[in-house]
Amino acid sequence: MKRPALFLAALLFLIAAAIMTYRILKLGYPLFPMAAGQVWRLEIEASIDPGPGESRLSLGLPLPHKGKVVIEESIASGPYSFTLLSQGPNRMAIWSGDSKEENQEFHYRATLVSSARKSLSDQPPKESGYAGILAKEDLKVLGDRIVSWKNLKPDRRLEKILDLSRQVADLSPSSSGPLGKIKEMEKRYGHTEILLALLNESDLPARKVEGLWLEEGIQTKLVQWIEIWMAKSWEALNPETGQLFKNPAQLLPLAIGGVPGVRLDNGRLTDLRWTLTRQVVRQWKLLFERIIQSNQFLNRWSLFHLPENFQQTFRFLLLVPIGALMISILRNIFGFPTFGIFMPVLMALAFRSTGLLYGISIFAGVLLIGYLVRRSLDKLHLLLVPRMSLLLTLVICCFTLLALVGNKLGLREFMSVGLIPFVILTMTIERFFVVIEEDGLRRALMTSAGSTAVSVIAYQVVNWERLQMLFFVYPELMLVVAALQVLIGQYTGYRVSELFRFRNLRGSS
Amino acid sequence: MIFQAFRRLRELGILSMNSRNADYIMEGNPRSLFPLVDNKVLTKTLAEKHHIPTPSLYYLVEHQGSIAEIPKILKEKKEFAVKPARGSGGNGILLIKGMTEKGFLTQSRKVIPQEDFNYHLSSILAGIYSLEGLEDKAMIEALIHPDPVFNEVAYQGVPDERVVVYRGVPVMAMVRLPTRASDGKANLHRGAIGAGIWLDSGMTMSAVHHSQLITRHPDTGNSLRGIQIPYWDRILLMAAKVTEMTGLSYIGADFVLDRKSGPVLLELNARPGLAIQLANQSGLRSRLEKIDRAPREIFQTAESRVDWARETFGQ
Repeated sequence: MKRPALFLAALLFLIAAAIMTYRILKLGYPLFPMAAGQVWRLEIEASIDPGPGESRLSLGLPLPHKGKVVIEESIASGPYSFTLLSQGPNRMAIWSGDSKEENQEFHYRATLVSSARKSLSDQPPKESGYAGILAKEDLKVLGDRIVSWKNLKPDRRLEKILDLSRQVADLSPSSSGPLGKIKEMEKRYGHTEILLALLNESDLPARKVEGLWLEEGIQTKLVQWIEIWMAKSWEALNPETGQLFKNPAQLLPLAIGGVPGVRLDNGRLTDLRWTLTRQVVRQWKLLFERIIQSNQFLNRWSLFHLPENFQQTFRFLLLVPIGALMISILRNIFGFPTFGIFMPVLMALAFRSTGLLYGISIFAGVLLIGYLVRRSLDKLHLLLVPRMSLLLTLVICCFTLLALVGNKLGLREFMSVGLIPFVILTMTIERFFVVIEEDGLRRALMTSAGSTAVSVIAYQVVNWERLQMLFFVYPELMLVVAALQVLIGQYTGYRVSELFRFRNLRGSS
Repeated sequence: MIFQAFRRLRELGILSMNSRNADYIMEGNPRSLFPLVDNKVLTKTLAEKHHIPTPSLYYLVEHQGSIAEIPKILKEKKEFAVKPARGSGGNGILLIKGMTEKGFLTQSRKVIPQEDFNYHLSSILAGIYSLEGLEDKAMIEALIHPDPVFNEVAYQGVPDERVVVYRGVPVMAMVRLPTRASDGKANLHRGAIGAGIWLDSGMTMSAVHHSQLITRHPDTGNSLRGIQIPYWDRILLMAAKVTEMTGLSYIGADFVLDRKSGPVLLELNARPGLAIQLANQSGLRSRLEKIDRAPREIFQTAESRVDWARETFGQ
């Protein structure tokens, strides 16, 4: 390693690190800009026919849960007054008012974002003891039943209780005995309530939760489940099936601890629905709004100030150097052959409009036709420049035909063929021919495979939204890529392919 | 495991492609001097100045227009070679042995009609065989009659001797022998054989074909070992002079042995390949490092450099 180059690499790296640190610490940029799919938008729409006098609608709002936080909320309440009430761990939206008009509408909108912060729902329960609705003597029946399990480990205890609950469910309604008694109680209090009491009695703090499935779509009813504190974290139990939810992050709690998620005093609920959507563009907008309003130098010079359609271009353009970096690694460290230096990267960009499968097939198809034509052209003894022009014409002809066929078949991918870099394709045909002639078909196919592999990987990288976001927010990361490129430029060691090439060298002097 | 393999190559002193490019070519070969070796016409003029023999140039075709004149100019020459001035890897070379009614007769007994011959020349001028695809010139040179020493181990074509020279010191040498598979061409990647040469004695040692060690010629079956290269002293001395001639510190010099005039410099290469290490079963890197550590006085004359190299890298 030569010093000046090492110094340059270190300098580039430091500059990037300094700007990034400044952005994160001073300007409060997120460390890992989230990608799409982790931002959810929740919309609650309710309408009521108010009764006489004051009506009051209270709705549970999303809580920080399993790494999800609410970052943006908006409320529309019409003539009603609105209060946000904290009630234990819960946040309740309360609309109250006195209106004679029918069909009062309420709206609530929130954006939920993943966050690394430990959320409330991951903390152990504060108060112990059961505050349920069961009468003392009924509670004692349950307590007697489970007293012998108190020394078991929590998960064993849970198993026993679920077992018991299942036995009760399987019982015929008219049974007697201790199980029959519990069955009778279930009829009075409800299955969930008994389960809650059983859990709490056996020192497994449990609470009733109402909420939503965290999935795209409209839900008109809240889901109920039971959260059980299992010494380390809350587990979610489906009271219907008696089984734990495998992925509790798929649940979005709205009301915890027996507080009803929806409650209307004095009136009739005519419509209530929760709509969840996964946000794609939203993410960009959030940062955009924050940055665009700031007067800080780096914020004023952010890429977010570009017009929207140019931003689109730069999102993947900033990742192109990574593709080039990959090619240098592949060629200089692995000794993997590719056609030309940047051909695979340009192909990767073209695949963006045609799609991977169509892109590769079109490319291979035109390359094959081009090769056959080039081979027969060889006998005509055409000069270099006119011959290349002819190949270019052929490529454009192929594109035109594909576009026309695509139009007939309704295949958009065929019509966007024009975005494949035709000059590169023409050059590749010529190179392909020359490599076959000079080094044989094997070598040509290997080089093709190498080029295809690189372009597929580059395509995946360029389209990786999380990475796009990261580079868009922190364009100085390109300096890090440059630093790596300098370092690879310094690599004078053996290529992996050379291990193979010199395998027969034994050394004699 | 892979690190062990890396270490093994390092211990053998093998020069890697990356290191050749960064440590020797970029370090010692200024780009501005590349045309001296990439353009054979320039090389030839330079060599003449330094009294290094090259095949004599009959005619230099510079324009498409002068192609038509060639039969007149070549009237009395029955044998000649056509080469692109900036060609590489032996591409675009035609070796003409004589004339028939149908056209030119090549060394490999193919007949090339006049029309095709002209086309070939205009292709050269258009730059098809040139390194950067730029316009080029076509050289018409005296045909080399290879020394009979390689008759047993060369399939057609002209064998040539490659000497890698670093800072004026011959580092390693090999003779490249055409095979049937290489179509008479002396390029290793096309299937020619590379046979390493002991620097001190000029005797061939190990040989390599398609990266595999061999001891016999695949076409003729004759042994490739122990062939004495004639005029070895002269070849080494000429090779040692190319650094002074071009100013390039890492260079590959290709010589051919003519039956009558002895060794002549065919061309120079500013990016000589690494396969010579396989042919010699020995690494270039350790030798290059020895040269860098050599006492200053050995660099004074071409003779002293050759003597030092024979002593250090021989046997």
